[in-house]
Amino acid sequence: MFTYEDIFAMFLLVTAFLALHLKNVTHAVISFGAMFTALSVLYFSLGAPFAAIFQLVVAAGTIAVFFLAGEMLTPKNEKPQGFRSKALAVLVAVAFSVPSIVLNLETGTSTFAHDLTFRSALWEFRALDIAAQGVVILTLALGVAMVLKERKKEER
Amino acid sequence: MEYVILSLTLLMFGIYGLLTKRNLLKTLISIEMIAAAASMNFVVFASAVGNGLGQAFLMLALSVDTAITAIVIALVLMAYREQKILDIWDLSKLREK
Repeated sequence: MFTYEDIFAMFLLVTAFLALHLKNVTHAVISFGAMFTALSVLYFSLGAPFAAIFQLVVAAGTIAVFFLAGEMLTPKNEKPQGFRSKALAVLVAVAFSVPSIVLNLETGTSTFAHDLTFRSALWEFRALDIAAQGVVILTLALGVAMVLKERKKEER
Repeated sequence: MEYVILSLTLLMFGIYGLLTKRNLLKTLISIEMIAAAASMNFVVFASAVGNGLGQAFLMLALSVDTAITAIVIALVLMAYREQKILDIWDLSKLREK
């Protein structure tokens, strides 16, 4: 019988394939958002709650931007896509999800295993990376602010 | 359930989209899919050995990925606004100007 993880894995691949297959960009972006949600649930089931929440939060922002861009860039007189084409895409994606559900790779036991909490991993091992990323994101924000200011000056 | 095969399939979808789609936003979605497949492996392998380093790597990778996405979407919008370009092959027009 299927577990809920199997169902979400199938849902992940179906929505991923639909995100590529759907002609309407707005619909594709909605499907892409559903893919991120399924991915987040799978992270949670893997015992990674911080990753799941972070993925969901980041995905929400990304999808909002994608949605706006998709809405702006979709032509209004677009031909609608047939139901048969969409159904075929779903079937193909379901077929592709079968190996991940059915197969089971023997990975053996790891000798690397040790208890390292998320907090210590983040602050003891990757503290410099986090500081560097903060600088990068701050620079990005400052860059955007400066570009907007320049544009306002030009408009005047 | 085998997560490695799942991430491999997702990677395959991303590469398929990258090779076949010409719409700039679809290309970006394909790149995001490849990034998601790669990030998934961090969590999968970290949960296999039972430590939190994979989650920390995922957070760092996602932050960089989101910043890159924001920049690329801005470039796509600018290309559309200036040249009405949405097709990736038409981007070569920008070089001629």
